[in-house]
This record gives sequence, structure tokens and C-alpha cells, in this order.
Amino acid sequence: MMLVGLVLTALALYFAQRNVAVTAERDLRENFQAEISSLHKVQALRHAALTERCRELALKPRLHAALEDNALDLLYPTAKDELRDLMEDAAPGKGEGANSLQARFYRFLDSSGAISPPPNPTEVGKLSKEAETQLTLKTLPETQQIGYVLETAHTLDGTMNEVMALPILSTETGEVISALVVGFKPYEVVDKSEATGLKSGIWVNGRLHLPSLPKSTQLKIENDIAQAVSKADGAQNSFKVTVDGMPQLLFYKPLNPGSLFPPAYEICVYSLANSIAQQRRLSWQIGGAGALLLLLGFVASHFIAARLSVPVEKLAVDSEKNREHWREAEAALVSTSEELERSARYSADASHQLKSPVTVLRAGLESLLNREDFKSEVYHELSGLLHQTYRLTGVIDDLLLLSRMDAGHVEIDSKPVNLSELIEEWLDDLGALPDSPDVKIERDFPPELYVAGEKRYTSLIVQNVLENARKYNRPGGQMRVKAANEAGNVVLLIGNTGRAIAWDAQKHIFERFHRGGTRSHISGHGLGLNLARELARLHGGGLRLVRSRDDWTEFEVRFRALHPVPAATAEVA
Amino acid sequence: MHLRVLVSVSAICILSPNSGLAEAIVEGRVNLPKSQAPPPVMAKRYEIVTNGGVLATKPPLAVVYLDGSFPTPTSHPIKQVAQKDLAFLPPFLPVQIGTTVEFPNLDDTYHNIFSYSPAKRFDLGRYRPEERPIPSVVFDVAGLITLRCDIHEHMRGLILVLNTPYFVITDESGRFRLSGLPAGHYTLKAWIDSKTTREQPVELKSGATLHTDFP
Repeated sequence: MMLVGLVLTALALYFAQRNVAVTAERDLRENFQAEISSLHKVQALRHAALTERCRELALKPRLHAALEDNALDLLYPTAKDELRDLMEDAAPGKGEGANSLQARFYRFLDSSGAISPPPNPTEVGKLSKEAETQLTLKTLPETQQIGYVLETAHTLDGTMNEVMALPILSTETGEVISALVVGFKPYEVVDKSEATGLKSGIWVNGRLHLPSLPKSTQLKIENDIAQAVSKADGAQNSFKVTVDGMPQLLFYKPLNPGSLFPPAYEICVYSLANSIAQQRRLSWQIGGAGALLLLLGFVASHFIAARLSVPVEKLAVDSEKNREHWREAEAALVSTSEELERSARYSADASHQLKSPVTVLRAGLESLLNREDFKSEVYHELSGLLHQTYRLTGVIDDLLLLSRMDAGHVEIDSKPVNLSELIEEWLDDLGALPDSPDVKIERDFPPELYVAGEKRYTSLIVQNVLENARKYNRPGGQMRVKAANEAGNVVLLIGNTGRAIAWDAQKHIFERFHRGGTRSHISGHGLGLNLARELARLHGGGLRLVRSRDDWTEFEVRFRALHPVPAATAEVA
Repeated sequence: MHLRVLVSVSAICILSPNSGLAEAIVEGRVNLPKSQAPPPVMAKRYEIVTNGGVLATKPPLAVVYLDGSFPTPTSHPIKQVAQKDLAFLPPFLPVQIGTTVEFPNLDDTYHNIFSYSPAKRFDLGRYRPEERPIPSVVFDVAGLITLRCDIHEHMRGLILVLNTPYFVITDESGRFRLSGLPAGHYTLKAWIDSKTTREQPVELKSGATLHTDFP
């Protein structure tokens, strides 16, 4: 994954860099050509101005008079006057404007195209014989001609001249009778060559005039240009050359296409050093940025991976721990279950084992009571013992039931049970008990309240709770039994007056063998509430203490309600 | 172009009444070139036209003159070629050697009349209409003088300087009449344009009228 990322990034960088290089070179060319193009426009304007100026001169009546009226001896003297403005700056000792419209020299061509010799060459701008020869044309031109003449006589590099030949038409015959050839300083494409690295010159007659390049370089490039222009289709073109080991872009453009003068080319050499340096810098920048990006990517991915893996690892550890816990819990559960089962079995066994002697005991006591030869105190004692055996039987029954429940052996065969009826029955029974305190019972329940359950267990629940309320009531107290349907349940509220259960004892009242602590005179064995709650839960309901304070204790038993109609039917059936 | 000269008897004017006992008269007709379509050169509307390098008047006129050796006049006649409406007026003037020609400027602009013609080179410089004395030139060599203006390059004028006092311009049909001529053997010449001059030997007799046509 990392490798793929690396390769992709490297590819992206490579293409980006290549793209940048290509774009840079294209931009360079476009910029350069735009620059050249704008300069050429200036050049064209200058040409137009020069042409206009020369054309005016060629129309001068005196020149025409000299040529047409056979006064050739007056030609140059006349021209000297007429071209004075044009030649002003060409006078020795005066500077030449950078791209001025001042002429350097002028000559007239005779009808054969040869130079009409000036009487005083210094007045018309000195030219070497060689340069003058270059001004000669095979025939007189019908239209304006542009040419370039290299004067090598005076300086090492020579001087390049731009010449403009304008035909002079006879006003008498309409024919070309002469031509005025004026030489100017060529337009310099770029003056600020130092700033842009652009060097411009002119190539003509196989010679390159580009003084800002060393002579040896010029000689070398001359051949390259000669080859290029011999193949060129005339449109501006370019090729790369190496100057002093530095690559340069060389543009060439024909200056005088179709001219009677030898073809000349404008040569612009643009150093690629800056561009290459810039590209190299850009490459480094891109490479650096890419590397940095890659590094950042690595760091970020590492960081993110680390962060992502933490919860996974934790999950793995937790999961291992959980498994361990689970195994422990499972083992504990198994052991508990086994223990419980053993315990339940023990309880059941114990209960059974106890039940038989109690039954024997009770039978013995009953037979003793049937005897009539005891004193009355003995009967009283026997009666008390018999009562104890009943109580013992009750405890044993309860324990047996509880142990069965604990062992999960109690199954409820749920049927509709008429709770109202059960309550009524038990209230009646309670009232008949000998030790019932004198309490007022308040009934508040409809006659037909059906709950889901097994009748004997439901009955046991009701009995235990009602008995509890009776036992712990006070003399002259009150008892209230209220039952009602409530959202799918039947809620039975049983309250009684009497001393409240101590606050700290309240949470223990449902524990086995707990008996409210203090009232030891009250009969009971501390299993009733526990049994009632377990049974209520077994029936899908519950038992809880609602309140116990200020002379009022109230329990709530919750049963699942059952629809009365089928319940009634079931009951009838 | 070959010209046929028809001879008719119709004198137009006599310029120089050189006195003699009996004056001879020459009259006739010069067959002038047809007035052609406007030639493709300048100055066509200013009377002097060039056609193939030939200067001529338009409409075509000829100057018929008696060539010979005549004494120089004692008094120099004065003629005028004015500049009017950017043209020379008259555009064509034959004069005898020694004639002074004045060039009054009748336009309200500068003119600069000059000539590079071999017969007379002069340059009057720029001058305005009020220039006084009127710029003038003495023409003392026979020949054709092309007048130009340095300011208005289209302006052309011709002065034909002759070494004879006997000359006349034909009318537009070519007819001429020269009177007051001395008797004797002479050459009668007809200047038709800058390149064409016809000539015929004539024998003039006192009191006689000779009919000579230039074919």
C-alpha cells in the first residue's frame, strides 16, 4: 500500500514537473514571440515612417528636374539640399539616435541599377567600395525595396545598415528612371538586452552581425543559420544553439522577403539559462514539496493508523478479558447452579425427612388428646404442642415449596383466577381466627377481578399478605383491601394500621426467616412474605412494600390481569 | 508619329515685323497630332503634357519659325509667364534669344520657379505675389526650357527660346501665317513637341506669299 502510494506520488510529481517544464518553455516562446511581435509592430511603424519620408524625397521636383532635364550634375547637389534633414545626424561627430529616422547615407541608382557616383562621397555618407557594390541592383526596382548592407571597412564587427531603395518615376514617361537608396541604422529589436538576455542581430549574405556575441560564436552560428534558412519556408522559426556551453533559443525571421536585395534575417538569441535555472528551481520546489507531502502523508497515516488500531487492540484485549470473565461467570454459574440444585435438593430432602416425624408427632399428640384421663393442664399443653406441629408443618410446606421454586421445579399452569372471590374467602377465614385483633376491614374491589395464575399459589399469595396485615395490626385498628385493574395488571393494595416497620428493617422484610425483629409475640416463621413475593414473581407479577410509617403499612401485590369473559368461561368450565 | 503638313493660306499673327523693302509671307498648315486621350502622366490639366517623355501642349500647337542667322535685337523684349491657379499662364511661350521673361505670381501662395534645362538653369526661389521686382530671367541660349515649381511638383511650363525673331504659334487646326519675312533662302521649322521639329527649305521672295505645309 505504502509502495503504491510512493509510486503514484512519484509518477504524479514526474508528470507535474514535466508539465511545468513544457508549459514553461511554451510560455517562454509565447512571451518571446509576443514581445518580438510588439517590437515588430514598432519596427513596421518605423518602416512606414521611413518609407513615407523617402517617398516624399523621391517626389521632389528638383530631383525630378535633375533626372528628367538631363542635369545629372545637379542630382547630388540638389539631393544634398533636399536630404539635409534626413542626413543631419549622420554628420561626423554627432551621435546617432537609438532608433532614429536619420539616414546614414544615400545614393542614386542610374537606369542600369548601378550607383550614380556622387561627386563628393563625404556629403552623401561614406561607404566602402564593397558596401557600395551591395547597393547595386540588377534592375531598377518598381517598388520600394528593403535590404541590409554590412559595412566592414571601419570596425571589426562591421556596421549593419538597413537600406531602403525607392524608385523614382519620370513625370514625363512614367517609367522608373532612377532609384533613391537611403541607408539607416537598423531598428534594434531589443535595447535592454542586458535585462532580458535577448540578443538580436541580422544575418545577410551568410554573415551574421550580432556584436553582443563573441566573433567565434557568430562564425559558428552563421553556418547554422545558413542551413536553417535554406530549409525554411519563409515563416519565422527557431532552433536551439549552444553558446559558451549555455543553451540558447535562436529565432530567425525574414526581414525583406521578395526583395531585390539579398535576403536578410533578423536573428534573436534568447538565453535559456534563466529559464533552465527557473525550471530547475521549480523542479526542486516540486520535488521538495512532493517529498514533504509524502513525509507528511506517512506521518499522518501512521498517526491515524495508530489511533485507529488502539480501540481495535483494546477491543481484542477486552474481548479476551470478557471471554475470561465470561468463562469465570459461566463456571460460577454452573457451580452456583449445582450448589443451588444441591441445596434445593437438600431442602426438599430435609423437608421430606422432617415432614414424616412431624406427622407422627401430630398423630401421637392427637391420640393423646383423645384420651380423657389427663388433667386439664395436660390437655392445654398437648393442645399447644399440637399447634406447634401445625406450625411446623406450615414451615416445612413453605420450605418445600420454596426449595422447589429455587430448583425451578414449580411450573405455573396459568388460568383465570377470581381474585375478588379469593380475597373474600380469606377475609372471612381471618375473621374467624381466634387470635384476630379487633380490626375494621375496609373493602374496595370489584366483585369480578380475574388474574392469571394457578389458584392455589394465588391463594397462598393473598393469604400470606392478608395474614401479615392481620398479624401486625393493632387492636382497634384498621385494615384496607383495595384491588383494581391497572393497564393490563391487577393491583392489590393491602394496608393495615399498626407499628411501622423500622426503616433499616424495611429492606430485609422479604428475606427468609426475617420477622420484623421486635415483635416476637406475633406468631409466624419469617417465610410468608418471601414465599408470597417469589410466587408473585413466578406469576409474572410482584410484591413490594409501598409504605410503612405513621401507623400505616401498605403492601402492593401485582398480578397479570386476564380478560374476564374467557376467564369466566374457564372458571365455569 | 509622322506628321503630314498641309499647306494653306491663313496667317495668324506676325510677331516680328523686321523691316525690309518687300516683305515675304509664309502661310500654311502644320499637321498637328490628334488630341489624344488623357495620357497617364502628371500635369495633364495644365496644358503642358508629357507623353512618352515628350513635352507638348494640349491642345496640340506648333511653333513655326524661320531659322537662320539674324542680328540680335538691340532692345530686349519682355514677356510674362504668370503663375495662376497653380499653373503657368501661358503654359507655352516661344521667345527670341535675349528676351526677358517675368514670372509674376498671381496666386495667393508661394511659388518657386526653377529650371534645370540645359538651355537655362535658374532658380527664382520662393516668392509671394507681392514680390517686387517681379522675378525674371533673361533667356540667352536657344533651346527648350522646362519650367517647374519646387513647391507644386505638378506645374509644368515650356519656354522655347529661338534665335530668330520670325516665329508664330499655329492655331488649333495647325494653320499659321508668318509675315514680314526677309527674302532669301531659309529653313522654315515647325516645333511640334520637345522631340519633334519639322523643317523645310524655303525661298522667300519679296512681296510674295509662299504656301508651305508641314506634312
